[in-house]
Amino acid sequence: MSKILACEQASEIDARSAAGLVTEQELIFLCQQGDRDCFRLLYQRYQQRVRSTLYQLCGSALLDDLVQEVFLKAWKGLPKLKTAKYFSTWLYRISWNVATDQRRKLARGPEKTSLNEKAWEKEELDSTKFTNAESAPDLMQLHYQDLVQRGLSNLSFEHRAVLVLHDLEDLPQKQVAEVLNVPVGTVKSRLFHARNSLRDFLEQQGISL
Amino acid sequence: MTNLHNDRQNNLVSFLRHHQPLPPDAPVDLEQLLIDSLEPHPRQRRLSLNFKTFRTAWTIPRGIVFRAPAKLIATGFLFTSVSFGVKTPRIALEPKDLDNFLVKNWHDTLDSNIYSYAAGEKPEAYWLLPTISEPQPALSFAAQ
Repeated sequence: MSKILACEQASEIDARSAAGLVTEQELIFLCQQGDRDCFRLLYQRYQQRVRSTLYQLCGSALLDDLVQEVFLKAWKGLPKLKTAKYFSTWLYRISWNVATDQRRKLARGPEKTSLNEKAWEKEELDSTKFTNAESAPDLMQLHYQDLVQRGLSNLSFEHRAVLVLHDLEDLPQKQVAEVLNVPVGTVKSRLFHARNSLRDFLEQQGISL
Repeated sequence: MTNLHNDRQNNLVSFLRHHQPLPPDAPVDLEQLLIDSLEPHPRQRRLSLNFKTFRTAWTIPRGIVFRAPAKLIATGFLFTSVSFGVKTPRIALEPKDLDNFLVKNWHDTLDSNIYSYAAGEKPEAYWLLPTISEPQPALSFAAQ
C-alpha cells in the first residue's frame, strides 16, 4: 500500500517537475528526507554539467566512476546542507574535490611520460571522434575541439579549473571563488593567466582570436 | 584599448564555448546504478531506531502511569497526611505541645549567644573581619 502511494507521489513529482512546478529547493528538501525519486530528478538536472566539468578537468578515463562518486557524495552530504540555494555551488565543489583527489591518485601512480601523454591525447581525440561520428562529423569542428582539449590540458590544474568553471560552465567569479575556496582576486588573476596561456597556444596552432 | 582587450577576451571565450570538447554520453544504466547504490540517510536509520527505543521505553512508564495511582488509591495513601517535604503550619491544640514548642525555640535562640558571651568570645560579626595571624604561645610554652 505504502509502495503504491510512494509510486503515485513520485509520478506526481515527475509530472510537476516536467511542468517546471517543483522548485529546486523543494527537491532538495525532499532529498534530504531520503526521497530517491527526487534525487533522480536532481541527477537528471545536474549530471550533464557535472559530467562536462569532470571531463574537462580529468579526461574521459574513469569519467563514469567520477560522476557516480560526485552524486554519491552529494547524496550522503545532503542532510548536512543547510542552505538549499547553494546546492549548485556545493555540487561543483564536490566535483572539484573529486577531480583533485583523482589527480592526486594519478600523481601517485605511474608517472605521466610523454608516451602516456600522447596516448591520453589520442584517447581524447578518439572519444571525441566517436561521440560525433554518428552525427556527420565536421572535420574543422573536430580539429578545433582537439585544439581546445590540448590547450586545456596544457594549463595547470588550478588555471584549467578556473577557466572551465568561469568560461565554459558560465559561473560568475564569486561562485568560482566559493567552489575553489579561494579569494575572488585569485580567481581573476588565474583567469587572466589561463586565458593568455590558452590564447598563446591557439596562436601557435595558427588560430588568431 | 579596453574595448579591444574585451573584444579579444569575448572572442576567445566564444571560441572555447563553441568548440569545447563534449564528454562521451553517459551509459544508459548509469542513472539506475546510481539510484540503486544509494544508502538510506543516517537520519532515516536513526529515526527508525529511535522509534523502536521509544516504544520499548514507553512500556515501563505506561505501567507506572496506570497501575501506581490505582494502588495508591487502594491503600488510601493519597488521603494520608504525608506532606512530601512541604511544611504546612500546624496549630498546637494541646498545652503540652505548646510548652514543648516554646521551650525548644527559646532554648535554641539563647543557646549560642549566652554561651558565647559567657565564654568571653567575640560576637558573630567577628567572623566577618579579616583574620590576623597571631603568635601561638601555647606551642612555645610547651617547647620551653
